[in-house]
Amino acid sequence: MLKDTQASLNNYLIKQLPKATAFFNTDFELVHVSDRWISDFEFGQRNILGQTIYELFDHLDQGMEESLEACLLGKGGELGPQLYVDKSGNERWFEWTNIPWYDDKENIIGVIIQTEEITRQKEDRSKLEKLELLLNDKSEIAKIGSWEYDAITGKLYWCPMTKRIHEVPEDYQPDMDEAIDFYLEGYSRNTISMAVYNAMEHRTPWSEKLQLTTYKGNEIWVIAAGKPLFKGGEFQGLIGTFQDITDHVRSEIKTRESEHLLRTMVDNLPLNVYIKDLESRKILVNRSECEYLGVEDASELIGKTDFDLYDREIAQVSREEDLSVLNSLNPILGKETLNVRKDGGVTTFLTSKIPLTGTDGKAYGLLGISMDISNLKQQESELRNLINVTSLQNKKLVNFAHIVSHNLRSHTANFSMLLDFLTSETDEDEKKKIIEMLTLASDNLLETLENLNEVVSISTNVGQEKVRVKLNDKIASVCKSLAPFLRNHKATIINEVSDDTHVKVVTAYLDSILMNFITNAVKYRHPDRPPVITLSAGKKEKYTVLSIADNGLGIDLEKHGEKLFGMYKTFHENAEARGIGLYITKNQVEAMEGKITTRSEVGKGTTFNIFFNEKN
Amino acid sequence: MKKIDTISVIDDDPITVFGIKKMLDSLGICDTIITYPNGKLAIDGIRERLESHGSVPDVIFLDINMPIMDGWQFLEEFISLPVDKTVRINIVTSSIDPLDRQNWESYKSRTHHLIDFKNKPIRHKDIAEITRAA
Repeated sequence: MLKDTQASLNNYLIKQLPKATAFFNTDFELVHVSDRWISDFEFGQRNILGQTIYELFDHLDQGMEESLEACLLGKGGELGPQLYVDKSGNERWFEWTNIPWYDDKENIIGVIIQTEEITRQKEDRSKLEKLELLLNDKSEIAKIGSWEYDAITGKLYWCPMTKRIHEVPEDYQPDMDEAIDFYLEGYSRNTISMAVYNAMEHRTPWSEKLQLTTYKGNEIWVIAAGKPLFKGGEFQGLIGTFQDITDHVRSEIKTRESEHLLRTMVDNLPLNVYIKDLESRKILVNRSECEYLGVEDASELIGKTDFDLYDREIAQVSREEDLSVLNSLNPILGKETLNVRKDGGVTTFLTSKIPLTGTDGKAYGLLGISMDISNLKQQESELRNLINVTSLQNKKLVNFAHIVSHNLRSHTANFSMLLDFLTSETDEDEKKKIIEMLTLASDNLLETLENLNEVVSISTNVGQEKVRVKLNDKIASVCKSLAPFLRNHKATIINEVSDDTHVKVVTAYLDSILMNFITNAVKYRHPDRPPVITLSAGKKEKYTVLSIADNGLGIDLEKHGEKLFGMYKTFHENAEARGIGLYITKNQVEAMEGKITTRSEVGKGTTFNIFFNEKN
Repeated sequence: MKKIDTISVIDDDPITVFGIKKMLDSLGICDTIITYPNGKLAIDGIRERLESHGSVPDVIFLDINMPIMDGWQFLEEFISLPVDKTVRINIVTSSIDPLDRQNWESYKSRTHHLIDFKNKPIRHKDIAEITRAA
């Protein structure tokens, strides 16, 4: 009875314990339990006394059973957090403390279990752990360390990252003076000293980009930041961060160096280099381009388009090229282009335009490179002219050699044949006739030689000094010397040449040319009408053109055009035709770097246009 | 030697014409020698004879460099005449221009007439050889 009373008293006492507590006997059957334990584990109104712990909990850790067994052997202790999933499915954490239950004779009669819900603490801790983890990661990745200086104890604390940045051993214990001594003597050390002083005196925070030498002697760049802590107006200490930015600074320096290198190269290239945006505005130009466009500074060209700088037509062509490059993304490479500046300067360029594309694959501008090849072009054209002149002269020379050989040969052949006859001829009359023929042959040979001599003298006098003469003066003097001839043939000369027409000529040639064309016009007059010769003059490109038109027989140019100016070619039944005049005339005109064109209609007349070159 | 009906000499040089005629006379193989001073008169004359008599010369001596119509222009028109028989055409020139020889080769291949190319002067010993009717 007493025992029962004692038990129920115990029972009642335990029931009211503020902590969740349960008493199990050596068979792990529940003997006493506090209400808190019942409510914590949601047993409700159920009578759970007498049930074993294994019956009460569906799931217990392996460690729990061992711990309970250990208690029966007199060893108890904290188990650490244990997971309990409540009826609503929430995870709750409990701290279990299992201790042996002794009776008054120190016999182990069971196990006392105390539990305390630590779900909240557990959550808080895991949050903190997460934060710490995150912070470490961050500091690891960004190479940002932290430090703290306690003014009261005078101790300086460096986090592991700060230590790593300084390359000090893990157990290194810095003090403030040492810390400052790490900074490079001069600017860096002065700056940090001032910053610390100002923080203490004026409460100002700092953040400076500084250089320091690590424990191992490496020079590094850091951003050192810090701020003072005050409490009730009293200085407590400093906290701050410490970031290694050596890689960043090095790559910055490297970038600056390569930029400088590129710029130096671009500026000193003997090529015009520029970059244009989508609107063909220049956004970069090099020195060559500035010099070409006659500006002192690149800024004078930035933002300008080809329309601001070049002839309108040229600018339009260039803009179309730009658009084609920007739209198709196909570069233009080594294209010969002609540029005409606003001041009229003409330059031939070998131009390349290369599209510049952004990361999205679209063009944001183009890179232009132009090489001035004006000199080359000039030389090329001079060379080509020289080749043309040479090949023309060569052709003329061969032609002339054939003419000479033909003409001389025909006479010598005649001599040879006639002399053959003469030696075998007996008839006196016939002999006389042969000698007449020989005389004729001799005269012909003489004349031929004279003609050839004249042609040779023209050909060898190429480049003879030309003088500027008034065309009308020459026409007048030729007409005067031809006056009897013209009168005899009732020829009329109509001179429409204006008095201010001048030509640059070898005067003797001009005399001969005028003489030849005018006498030809009369010689080949139409039998039905008196000859009328019209002279007129005009300008065409670099030439002054004298036109001599007649109303004579005309000539079939389709048939005879090729031979018109050939030597010993005649086209009309005319006893006076010798076939040398036009040949010489043509040679004289060509010797003065001019040319002759012809228009003719059979039965109506012929017009010769003589082109006088105004160049020297 | 077989008698030849007609020989034409086409040359603007009276001395050459005189020489050829003199040599032909001495051969005495032809009674009719017609001379023309240029290609134009020659082709007109030959065409007219072809229409009125139905005959063309058996042998032609032809100069190249002549006024109005030269030897090549004459040949161009002559080979287009409706002539069945083979005419011997002796080109007689003092030209040594290779172009003239090329022209000769080209005309030779374009006609059934016999075309020969001789440099001046023509000698007595050659004349019989080149005056045989083709």
